Amino acid sequence: MSERGALKQRLGVDVGGTFTDFVLLDEETGELTIHKCLTTPSNPSDAVVKGMEQIDIEEPGFVSKLDELIHGTTLVINAIIERKGARTGLITTKGFRDILELGREIRYAPFDIMAEFPLPLVPRELRVEVDERVTADGSILTPLETEQARQAINGLLDRQVDSIAVCLLNSYANPVHEQELKSLITEIAPGIPFSISYDVLPQIREFERTSTTVTNAYVKPLTEEYLTCLSSRLEEIGFSGRLFIMLSSGGITSVETAAEHPVRIIESGPTAAVIAGQYYGRLFDISEMFCFDMGGTTAKSCLIQDGVAGVVPTFEVGRVQRFMRGSGLKIQVPVVDLMEIGAGGGSIARIGRMGTLQVGPESAGAEPGPCCYGQGGSQPTVTDADLVLGYLDADHFLGGTMQLDIEAARLGIEECIAVPLGISLVQAAWGIHDMINETMAAAAKTHIAEKGGDPVTVTLAAFGGAGPVHAAGLAQKIGASRVVIPPHAGVGSALGFFTAPRAFDTARSHKVALSEIDLKRVDGIFEQLGKEGEIALGLDAGEEGVTHSRSLDARFIGQGSETNVPLPSGDLATIGTEGIRNLFDVIYERLYGRTYPDTPLELVNLRLRSSLPVKLLDLPSSEISVETHPQALKGERLAFSEHSEDFIPHQVWDRHHLTPGDSFHGPAIVEESESTLIVPSGAMVEVDEYGFLWCDLTEVMGE
Amino acid sequence: MSERFDPITLEILWRRLISIVDEADVTVARTAFSSLLRDAHDYTCMFTDRQGRELAQGTLATPGQSGAMALGIKSIVEKFVTSELQPGDVFITNDPWALAGHLNDVCVLSPIFHHEQLVGFTACVFHHSDIGGRVASDNRDVFEEGLFIPLVKLYAGGKLNEEVLDMIRWNVRTPDEIVGDIRSQTAANHVCAIQVCKLLSDYKLDSLDDLADEIIERTEASMRASITELADGIYTSSVEIEQRPEEPNLTIAASIEVSGDEITVDLSGSSAEVRWGGNVVYNFTYAYVFMALKSMFDPEVPNNHGSAAPIRLIAPEGSVVNCHFPAAVAARMQIGHFLTEVVYRALSPALPDRVLAASGGTPATMNVFYGKDHVGVPWHTVIIRGGGMGASQGEDGGHCFIFPANGANTPVEILESETPLHIECRQLLPDSGGAGKQRGGLGRRVVFRVPEGESALSGPVNMGLQSGRFQLPPEGLNGGCSGGLAHFSVNNEAGDPYGLTQLQPGDVVTMDAAGGGGFGNPLDRELELVAADLERGYISSTRASEDYGVVLDSEGIIDAAGSISERRSRRKAQKAKRRGA
Repeated sequence: MSERGALKQRLGVDVGGTFTDFVLLDEETGELTIHKCLTTPSNPSDAVVKGMEQIDIEEPGFVSKLDELIHGTTLVINAIIERKGARTGLITTKGFRDILELGREIRYAPFDIMAEFPLPLVPRELRVEVDERVTADGSILTPLETEQARQAINGLLDRQVDSIAVCLLNSYANPVHEQELKSLITEIAPGIPFSISYDVLPQIREFERTSTTVTNAYVKPLTEEYLTCLSSRLEEIGFSGRLFIMLSSGGITSVETAAEHPVRIIESGPTAAVIAGQYYGRLFDISEMFCFDMGGTTAKSCLIQDGVAGVVPTFEVGRVQRFMRGSGLKIQVPVVDLMEIGAGGGSIARIGRMGTLQVGPESAGAEPGPCCYGQGGSQPTVTDADLVLGYLDADHFLGGTMQLDIEAARLGIEECIAVPLGISLVQAAWGIHDMINETMAAAAKTHIAEKGGDPVTVTLAAFGGAGPVHAAGLAQKIGASRVVIPPHAGVGSALGFFTAPRAFDTARSHKVALSEIDLKRVDGIFEQLGKEGEIALGLDAGEEGVTHSRSLDARFIGQGSETNVPLPSGDLATIGTEGIRNLFDVIYERLYGRTYPDTPLELVNLRLRSSLPVKLLDLPSSEISVETHPQALKGERLAFSEHSEDFIPHQVWDRHHLTPGDSFHGPAIVEESESTLIVPSGAMVEVDEYGFLWCDLTEVMGE
Repeated sequence: MSERFDPITLEILWRRLISIVDEADVTVARTAFSSLLRDAHDYTCMFTDRQGRELAQGTLATPGQSGAMALGIKSIVEKFVTSELQPGDVFITNDPWALAGHLNDVCVLSPIFHHEQLVGFTACVFHHSDIGGRVASDNRDVFEEGLFIPLVKLYAGGKLNEEVLDMIRWNVRTPDEIVGDIRSQTAANHVCAIQVCKLLSDYKLDSLDDLADEIIERTEASMRASITELADGIYTSSVEIEQRPEEPNLTIAASIEVSGDEITVDLSGSSAEVRWGGNVVYNFTYAYVFMALKSMFDPEVPNNHGSAAPIRLIAPEGSVVNCHFPAAVAARMQIGHFLTEVVYRALSPALPDRVLAASGGTPATMNVFYGKDHVGVPWHTVIIRGGGMGASQGEDGGHCFIFPANGANTPVEILESETPLHIECRQLLPDSGGAGKQRGGLGRRVVFRVPEGESALSGPVNMGLQSGRFQLPPEGLNGGCSGGLAHFSVNNEAGDPYGLTQLQPGDVVTMDAAGGGGFGNPLDRELELVAADLERGYISSTRASEDYGVVLDSEGIIDAAGSISERRSRRKAQKAKRRGA
């Protein structure tokens, strides 16, 4: 490898809404160092540089020792939500200027006649048509009228666009006209950022492809500017390693590729937790793991099967009605199959119109926050309930850096929930805690069912500030008997930065009946996709070992939706049509209970992921010891037990002093600075050699 | 009220019921064959307690189907001899009078057993793209419209009745698709039943009865409380619906009596049955009356048997809104969708902030195309479309939705790859949105071309159409103007929207959807909004000056001062005219 082989430090930087998190990994020792500073929204690179300078004070010279910096950012998604992207023009086929605005025409809330819809990113006056037409089989019906195309481009420039999107009808089948437009744009307006649908995502369905291409064009100038600025500032402070950007699909990529395909880094931030989960799944050889990351506003979760998270081809951004499926802009890019719901510590509890308790999806956020923050919040939240139930310690929240006001929490729950419902304070607090668990469980079960998983056999991995507090309750509701809490669970997603492979996904529509398939031709397309993937990976000289994993989307002929079928390695000609058929039937049966081997199949899309090997990460491990560590037991306090329906004494353990081999029974509470684990009566906790807490609920659920 | 559930457990169980149906709903979307189901979501899943009272329906349910099922399943269940039902029984029917009003809507219904006790029923209705028969709106009776499946057992005690499936196979044009979709219905019911049983086990309940009582009573109380807020009185209105040129237009008359916490909608005075497929069965009429009232009074609370309890419907027997067997019903949406509009119009003076002006997507438009491709292989497709939404007091109407029904369009690239048709354009129609303080949504033009020359097909392409608004446009409210009319032409000559049209190679079909009605006086529309509409090309400069009273300078820019004085004098003229009248 290169000379940098001697440098052994990697830094993960995650720019979030409130905090920018830093995780420094020393590869030799496996030690992790955590640092946080406030995000600087006007120029997020300020916080990145500032945080690194702060770390440098504690570890002088670390910047120059850095081998890699891996960066996750909410820049792109925020630009779309806040509508701060470029003034973008769209060039499209004559007759189809309004595809972007018409969308799919479905009303996402059938009985809500006032439901709002998002405005298109490119208004009608900036959408221009050109005379050209390609048919569904790729043949040319009307050649591109060059002079008119020039006028269209010049027309957009006259209207002062800063970015141009091109999406022509049926271009997935033949991109020749889009390519001609590309050369014309480069000739007429050298330097203007442009996005061509065939390069962005060449797949059938014109609205989704147009929407994706337009979104890419909309965020391209600002992404380019940000990444250029970040690179040069890092250089200024002495960084000489490689900079990688986290993709929504779970891989990492070069700065150049991220700048070219900014729409691919849209869910860059939350993805890290999933990657970490994949790593744990493999490390502990867990066939089905359900990762669950509960923060202040939302809970995100994802099912990981055999160490691999699902990747879905579509994503919705900027929902007009939060959490209402269908109310956002639809884009077609590979995104880790994350489910996000409005359930977090800040979720507000109130009495609904039906006279029943409702919790979330509205959140008290950081300002004013829960009642117990003492910042003027008067609506009770999940955190208030957790405090009243004794799960949180008012004096040790966030490692004691923030004092909580339990009286304010009691008052809020009493006044807003207990009195109106005619129930006790404790019943109300438990109700809030239990309700949010139920909300998460309902969403989790649907998500797991959609992936063909079984909630009863999953291991639940809990992250985030509120995750471990609710993990055991959630696990019981979905029927899972094992919970694992990784070290630094409060910022536990950070490890994901270091275990993500360098990878890039490519795809092409290729619609053909399996009985008429030309396997050699398909192999040829995969080969072409592989070449494109390697270019996007931006390999350094001497870097090798790229693997290409292929899959195809297939369906019964006439069926409306496709099923993704991963392919084993080797020529398709060797696998044969019968082999493909068998692979499909196995997956279809797992997902939907039964398959129909006599009903003919067709292929719709070909997909390929090009990736470099995952860097192995050696977590620091210690010998399992049989000694007990009395200093880990801090004492005990009263907390609510569902089983006893009352407050009972819980042993309180300090996670920082627990060592491998320690074990204890519930009822217990394990505290660390960013989070708290609640262990119900009857549950058993063990600390493994890596410092993970394993909580076994078999006895609790056997009742 | 039952004391069995505290308000917290009740909410948890209630949510669980809805998530169960949504899980069944997802199963359909992932297993269905027809693009009408998968892409357009023309189906509804629901389940009931053992008395057939609806407990929960899918979040994206189609209002016509869900409302009709709520009544239909209950009356089917009431006729069952429950001691004869056994686990593994699955029933199938498409009786338009029993359920959703036309033969294409096929219902699959299964009892749910828990510990060998009957606890409820799960049902789903899918719109199948073909059910045989002659595909057109001008059929004279239901016998011409396709296969009629009375309530029969598809599975008896878990054993498939192959004869029933065979009977269906031999009566439809695309048997594999229909049978595939029926399998998907069975799977959806199966998922629902398993989850209901799991809920009962989890909460150690023997039946759904107490839970059903509690949920239904609370839902009913909420709807009643909301109705009480409206002053008692009788609110009346009517809508006129166009017919073939040689026949008189139809009327739907509505007299809505609000009395305390109840509403009675009386449709007496509505026209008699028609001699084409537009007749509406009672259940379907009820569904769209309910859609209107639910959307106005209690849109957030999930639908169940209780939501409907305070609403009474009187629809005269033998009228077009309560037709008798064997009236032709295939195109029932062409009339049925207007029921929501008539309710909004009647109640608009009392509740102007909760209604919409008339929509161009009322009725929905449906095209059926079928024929043989250039090598003689049969093909068949159904596409549905809407038009501009009516404006409301606070918002412009959205462009192009199906309303009050719901559904999605089929992508042009999917249509072109699955059928031989060529689509020349799909675009908004400028000036089609009704002028108003809030503008109606724009309609849309779609142009289809039948291939000719080398790629010409074997034989003609048959096209059936269900639509409306060719003569009477969607009207505005509170001084808003009407939206633009719909148009249908073949090679630029007006086509017949009722019959089956045979298309030849090279034929070009143009379908313009109507725009939505405006809300409020167009002279009150903010100048910046008129300017934006002009810049986007939603309106022309002619309409800007004629409808909105704005004055444009030589560059086409709005002259604010000139516009204000022009609008002032026009308002005076309007007032004078009103006084004169």
